[in-house]
This record gives sequence, structure tokens and C-alpha cells, in this order.
Amino acid sequence: MGALLLLPVFLPVVAGTYLLVSLAVEKQKRKAEGGELPEPDEEARKKLHTRVLAVLVVSAVLAVVVSWSGDHSVTLFELMKGIPVYFRVDDIGRLFVTLVSIVWVLVGVYSFVYMEHEGKEQRFFGFYLIVYGVLVALCFSGNLVTLYMFYEIMTLTSMPMVLHNGSHESIMAALKYLFYSMCGAYLGLFAIFFLYRYCDTLTFTAGGTLNPELLGNNTWILLIAVFAALIGFGAKAGMFPLHAWLPTAHPVAPSPASAVLSGVIAKAGVLAIIRVVFYIVGADFIRGTWVQTAWMTLALLTVFMGSMMAFREKIFKKRLAYSTVSQVSYVLFGLSVLSPVGMTGALLHVIFHMFIKCALFLTAGTFIFRTGKTRVEELYGIGKQMPLTVWCYTFASLALIGIPPTSGFVSKWYLAQGALSANVGAFGWAGPAILLVSALLTAGYLLPVTTNGFFPGNKANPEELPRLSEPKGMLIPLAILAALTVLLGIFPNPLISFAGQIASSVL
Amino acid sequence: MSSAIFPIVVLLPIVAGVLIPVLPFGNRKNMMIYIEGVVLLNAVLAVAMLVCQPEGEFVLFRFTHDLTLSLHLDGMGTVFAAIISVLWPLATLYSFEYMTHERHEKVFFTFYTVTFGITMGIALAEDVVTMYCFYEMLTLVTLPLIMHTLTREAILASRTYLYYSLGGAAFAFIGVVFILIYGTTSNFVPGGVLDLAKIGDRTNLLLLIYVLCFFGFSVKTAMWPFSAWLPKAGVAPTPVTALLHAVAVVKAGAFTVMRVTYYSFGTEFLKGTWAQTAVMIPVIFTIVYGCSRALKETHLKRRLAWSTVSNLSYILFGAVLMSPLGLVGALSHMIFHATMKICSFFCAGAVITKTGREYIHQLDGFGRKMPKVFAAFTVSGLALMGVPGLCGFISKWNLVQAAVESGNPLAYAGVAALLISALLTAIYMLTITIRAFFPGKGFDYSTISDVEDPSWMMLLPLLVFAVAMVVFGLHPEPILSRLGLIAASLR
Repeated sequence: MGALLLLPVFLPVVAGTYLLVSLAVEKQKRKAEGGELPEPDEEARKKLHTRVLAVLVVSAVLAVVVSWSGDHSVTLFELMKGIPVYFRVDDIGRLFVTLVSIVWVLVGVYSFVYMEHEGKEQRFFGFYLIVYGVLVALCFSGNLVTLYMFYEIMTLTSMPMVLHNGSHESIMAALKYLFYSMCGAYLGLFAIFFLYRYCDTLTFTAGGTLNPELLGNNTWILLIAVFAALIGFGAKAGMFPLHAWLPTAHPVAPSPASAVLSGVIAKAGVLAIIRVVFYIVGADFIRGTWVQTAWMTLALLTVFMGSMMAFREKIFKKRLAYSTVSQVSYVLFGLSVLSPVGMTGALLHVIFHMFIKCALFLTAGTFIFRTGKTRVEELYGIGKQMPLTVWCYTFASLALIGIPPTSGFVSKWYLAQGALSANVGAFGWAGPAILLVSALLTAGYLLPVTTNGFFPGNKANPEELPRLSEPKGMLIPLAILAALTVLLGIFPNPLISFAGQIASSVL
Repeated sequence: MSSAIFPIVVLLPIVAGVLIPVLPFGNRKNMMIYIEGVVLLNAVLAVAMLVCQPEGEFVLFRFTHDLTLSLHLDGMGTVFAAIISVLWPLATLYSFEYMTHERHEKVFFTFYTVTFGITMGIALAEDVVTMYCFYEMLTLVTLPLIMHTLTREAILASRTYLYYSLGGAAFAFIGVVFILIYGTTSNFVPGGVLDLAKIGDRTNLLLLIYVLCFFGFSVKTAMWPFSAWLPKAGVAPTPVTALLHAVAVVKAGAFTVMRVTYYSFGTEFLKGTWAQTAVMIPVIFTIVYGCSRALKETHLKRRLAWSTVSNLSYILFGAVLMSPLGLVGALSHMIFHATMKICSFFCAGAVITKTGREYIHQLDGFGRKMPKVFAAFTVSGLALMGVPGLCGFISKWNLVQAAVESGNPLAYAGVAALLISALLTAIYMLTITIRAFFPGKGFDYSTISDVEDPSWMMLLPLLVFAVAMVVFGLHPEPILSRLGLIAASLR
């Protein structure tokens, strides 16, 4: 049964590689004949989409079924003596892999329509499939070295999605993404080096594997190392001080890619932090140390700063990217208080934010696809043109702000409760206060699009705003995501108990 | 197999190389067959020797009763000999296509082949005097290779190389003399040969001598502050820069440093002293310094040369940790860096021979035109960065584990330096890859319509190296366990 874990990893990777290689071979052949590769016609596009969808659905179903059918594990091979490349499913991996699969399929369906106007579809879907396989591997990773390996591969394979349109701006953004991520990964690696020495094993174990005897009086260096890991893996999650790449890189990618970068890949940083802190080091090691204080401070700083920047930003997708910076740090703050309730809130916010942010970016994509408008002040009256899309946007926005009974309210409730109940001094009240301020700012930067969209006032003439068709292929995934953001808030109990179960197993 | 094989693998390439200018080949093809034949034969003999591991020594020559030139084979020598005998035939194959656009081929191949024998001599040297003699000879025979093009720039570069190397050798010689005086024997013995009774209260003097000797030998590894010669020497033809300045010559420097540290002075004598600190600081500095210079450099080969400067200091870092684990890290990086760097240099060489472009900003869009070369280049770049799954990660892991185990705060700083250097490596290698594969919207490919992949003679070595990087990266255990045995003999 364990070997089945490898299928949802290798199937998309092999399929994606096949797409890329066959594209390259086709190009070479055409060049030898002295011509250029023609733009694919409608039939060829259909064929490509069917294949991609088939691979996506099959591997997503496999990933979800296999992960929920028991705690399987499999060793791929020994990298070095005592360091296997090892996959194992546990509750947290199960949760992440399910989320990733749902989002990847939905956004995939959306891209079939959207990518028409970006071009180079085969290349895009090649990388899209590969990154999915790598993310599944990341969720299934059973030890820290395996996790690190797939973390690096994820950076490298998702980079081509950022520079997809080939403009100078997007290439520069891709480089920035690459180097910030590498910097972060190396900081994480710094910690792994020391953890390998001071822990019994690098296999993930709830509660940690730190061995005080091996550690001796080297606490100081390990604290530095853990802090480095927090900063480093925090880079992917957009935590200050390595957040600057995110608002540059996410918006220049094609919208579906921005959606998964912000919604899913940013969460890979969160997953890595959870694994290091709760499954290797153990929360008790950093509880009450300067590392915890610094972590809480940085997370709260990022929450506030991200919201402020989003509030001031006029380019719609960039605004959403800043919002990601802020929202993912909600998650990090929930983890940093090191209490079961806080962690429950953090996990819930991972789930909800993933759906919400994907929905928001897909809306931005639909706007661009149909009207080419990218700036917030251009969106006056957009609600007259695309009412259904804007309604989906509105529900997702309300959820992100945290208005009951939407999902965001539930997670923020637990985050605030967690901070208040944990023994973290002034952070107990400062944390919830900042979350509240940030929620206000969130309302301030998200809702104007809805209000101005439906009620443009004298800024736009309703006569000049014809009703535009909203392609089903784009609307349905968006509607599902928007519905999830609301429904999960109304029926949150299974999720709460599942997240609570994970939290209490490690704390 | 007896010890008589030792002089054969050293002398065969030397004699055969000297014969190249006088033999009547008739045409170029015959000469190519002769050279590749000799190099291949010698490599096969060497590999056979490494497999059989013959015992005993072979005395080439006696200066006096106890000063001899003698050869034998041990674990560390095996590693170095294995690297050069695997790489030399591949590099020779590559040079045939490369040298078509240079002149004076016979002179070039004479010295190129002789160098093979001399480097073998360093690997097989049984004692410090023999090693020193071959080390000096190495300087002299590689000098004409650097000034091969006879341009003013080349002559100046070779002069710099000569001054640096001879100066270094002079310091190294002081060390050799002291080993002879204060050691129980001049041979290499795991754990060192110093006679503590003879030293008495002159410990500090000997530590000073060690530091001088270390700096002397590490001139060849281009450690700061003696690194200027290596990037300058990049004017040499690419096979020379690739094989000699990324592998044979510079690693001979690292090899000699390890020999005197672990086999002459001995780590027990050195570890924890001020001498260890004194050599570790410049090593750590060079790791970062080399990378930052590489980042600044816009000339492709010089950028790679600065990267070599940094990577050789990785090896030295492992060596100056002065623990068995450090030696494993150093030796593994010696093997893996050889593969990675020769591969990236060969890619640079392929670009130069096929297109004449030498600067990085001229490489826009090349990835589409030379896909095979730039694929290999990307793999080598990723490996140098230390992406897990490729060989660079394995050696870095071992180096760092040794540093963490040592418990020395300075070594922790070394770990940080390694990671900073990895980040800089990512920047200076991947910018080239991205430029080559993604030149940006509206790039006019007709400006580089003359660019294409080279012939199989150049591609075959690239393929071999790329595969090797993956295989070593995924399954390093056979190599690591062998290095572990060498290190275990030091305990």
C-alpha cells in the first residue's frame, strides 16, 4: 500500500515532463524544417486540456484516497546512511494534500479558458502538473531532508510559471522570487544541519525529537538555528523580513498561477515551519525564549504591514498579493503562541485562506481576461458587467474580513482565543488587537471593489458598460471556491475537531 | 600486481608526451589517436592499479641514504589518482575539437600529457620530499600551457602564476625541512610523524611553521590573499582552465595541504591551537570572497574561475576542521567539485569555440540554440548550489556535519559562510541559465542564428559529467563509505 503514495507524485511529474519534452522536440523538428511552431488550433488545445484534466483528476483522487486510507509510509531510497528519502502520511500531510488537490483541480479547470489569452499553454500546463506532483511529495514527506529536497524543487519548478509571459518585468520578478526563496531555503538548511546533530532522528514525530543529552550546552546555537529556519521558511509564507518578493512575483504571473502561488505555495512555507517547530524541535524548546518573542513580533508586524500596503496599493493583483502577506502571517501568529487553540485557528486559517485567496485571484483573472483592467480605479461599474463574478468576489471578501457566518470569522475567533489563552504576556492582548485593526483594513481594501463595482455613481456611465459574458469554465471553479468559503463557515465543526486533534497531538 | 606499476603510470605519459613533437604522425588524425591512446592506456592502467591496491613502495631515486623519491599507494592517493585518471581521457577527447581553433597543437599536447604523469606523481608520492618535487614540476610544466596563446595578456598571466607558485613553494619548502628535522620519518603516516620529544618547548615555532607551510601550499588552491593568479590564468585554452585550473593543479594544492595536515604534522598536534584558527579564518573568508567576486565578474570563464576559488576553500575548510569527518567532507567535495566544475567549464568552452562569445551578457537566448550544452550547464549550476539530489548537496552536508560536530564557534561561522556562498552561487549561476533560456519577449533569434550545439566529442564528456552528478547525488554511499575508511585510519 505504501508504494501507492508514489503514484500521485510521479504521475503528474512524468506527465508534465512529457508535455515539456514533446514540446521541445516538436520545436526542434519544426526548426530543422525551417519553420516556426504554429499556434495550436482549437482541436489541439482541447486535446491538451483533456489530457491535463485527466492526469490532474486521476492523481488528485489517488492522492486523496491514498492519504485518507491509513498511515502509509514508503522509503524511496537512502540518500546517505541514515538519511532516507522517505514518504509518510499523517494528519497534517493528509489535510494539506487534500486542500492542494482540490485547489489544483479547480484552478486547472479555470486555466483551460484563461490561458488562451496568455499563450504557450503546453509549457504552462507542463510546469503546472510538475509542481502539483512536487507539492504532493512535499505534503507526504516523512522527514526533514525529504521535505527540504522537495521544497527546493518546488521553488525551481514553480519559477517558470512566474516568468510565463516573458516580459522583462516578469523575468526580473522570477529572479527575485528565486533568490529570496533560495535565501530562505538556505536559512532553513542551516537549521537542518544543526537539528540533524542534536535530534534523535529527522523523521517527523509529534512533539519533537530533540535530545537534550546530545544538545548539551549548545542551546544558544540551536535557538539561532531555529530562528533562522523560521525566517527562512517564512520567506515562502511572505513573513517580514523576506517578504518583498511576494508582491513582485505573484502579480506578474498569469492569474491562475498567482492564485496557486498565493493560495497554495505560500502555505508550503507554513507547512515547513509546522514540521520544524512541532515535529522536530518541539514547541517546549522555544516556549518562552527570545525566539518565540521574535517570532510573534515579526508575525504581527507582517500582519499589520501587509494590510497597510494592500490598503495603499492601486494595482488589483498586487493588492491581493499584499493581502496574502498579511493573511499568511495570521497563520504564523497563531502558530507562534504555541497553544492548542492558537494552532487550531492557524490550521483553520490555512484552509480558509487557501480557498479565499484563490477565489480572489481568479476574480482578478476574470476581470483581466474579459476587460483587460488591472487597476482598482478602473473597476468602477464592473458589477454591471460581470455580476456573478463580482458576487463570488464579494462572498470571498466577506470571508477574508471575517464577518460571521463566513469561514474567516471562525478561524479568526480561534486565533484570538489562542492568543488570549496562551501565556504570552502582552502579546495576549496586542495580538487580537492587531488582528482586529487588520480586519478593518482588509474591509477597506477589498470592499470598495464591490461597492464601486455595483454602484459606480458618476464615475462610470452605465450605458457604456455592456453586460459581458462570463465563461462557464471560469465561473464554475470560482463559484465552487466562493461557496466553500461561506459554507465552511456555517458548518465548521468537522474541520475544527480535525484541526484540534492535530493541535493537541503536538502540544 | 606489484609496486612496479607505480613508476609506469607516472612515467608513461611523461615519456609519451615528450615524444609527441618528434614522432612523424603524418596527419592530425594519427596524432589524435596516439594521444588519446596513450592517455586512455595510462588511465586504464591507473584504474587497474587502484582496484588492485598493490602494497609496498617503489624507490625511483635516492638523493642520500634517507632522502628518496619513492612512490606508493594509500587511501587518499587513491582518491586523487581516481579523479584525474577518470577525467583526463574525457578532457583530452574534448580538447581535440577545442584545439582546432588554436595554434601550436603539438606543443600544447606535449605539456598537457606530461602534466598527467606529474599529477599522478603527486597522488602517489610516498613522502613529503617526493611530493614537493612533483609539486614544483607541476608548476613548471603547466606554465607553457597558460601562455599558450602568446598574447601579452597570456604572458603576463603566466608570469603572475609563476611568481605566486614559486613563492608559495618556498614557504612550503620551509615546512618540508622542519618535517624532516622534527619528524620520525619523512613518509606520510596517518596521524602525523612529529616527534614530540624532539620538539620539546618549541611547539609554537612548529605551529608557526605549519601556518607558513599551509599558506605556501594553498597558493595553488588560490586561497585569499593568493587568489589573483587563478582568474588571470583563464586566458589559457579552455581544456587547460577546465582540467588544470578546476581539477588537477588546484586540487593538487588542496591534496598537499591535506597531506601535510593529516599525515605529517598530524591533527592531534594542531587541533584546537591558534594555528588552526589562523588558517581557518582566511579559508572561511575565501569561501565568501570567491563567490562575491564571481558575482561581480561578467566574463564567463573568469566567473567560473572565481567560483573555483570559493569551492576550493570548501575543501580546505573540511581539511582545517582537522577531524576524520572533516576529511571525508573535504575529499567528497574534491571529487564532486571536480565533476561539477569541469562540466561548467566545458560548457563555457563549447560556447567559446562555437561562437566566440566570452561575456555573459552576450549569451541571451543561447539556451534555445545550444540546448544540450546549456542543459548540462544548468545541471552543474544546480549541483554547485547544492540542490538535494545532486552531488553538491552531499559534500556540503558532510562538510557541515563535520563543522557542527567540532563544536567550534568559528566552524559555525564557517557553516554560515557555506550557506551565504550557496546563495551567491545560485545568483551567479542561475542568472546565466535564465538569460540563456528566457531572453525575454521580442528577443530576435536571428542575431544568434550562427549558434548551435557542438559535435559529439564535446557533448559526450558533458553527458558523462551530468549523469555522474545525478548518480553521485542520489547514491553517494559507495564513495562515502570508502572515504569513511580512509578517515577511520586516522583515528
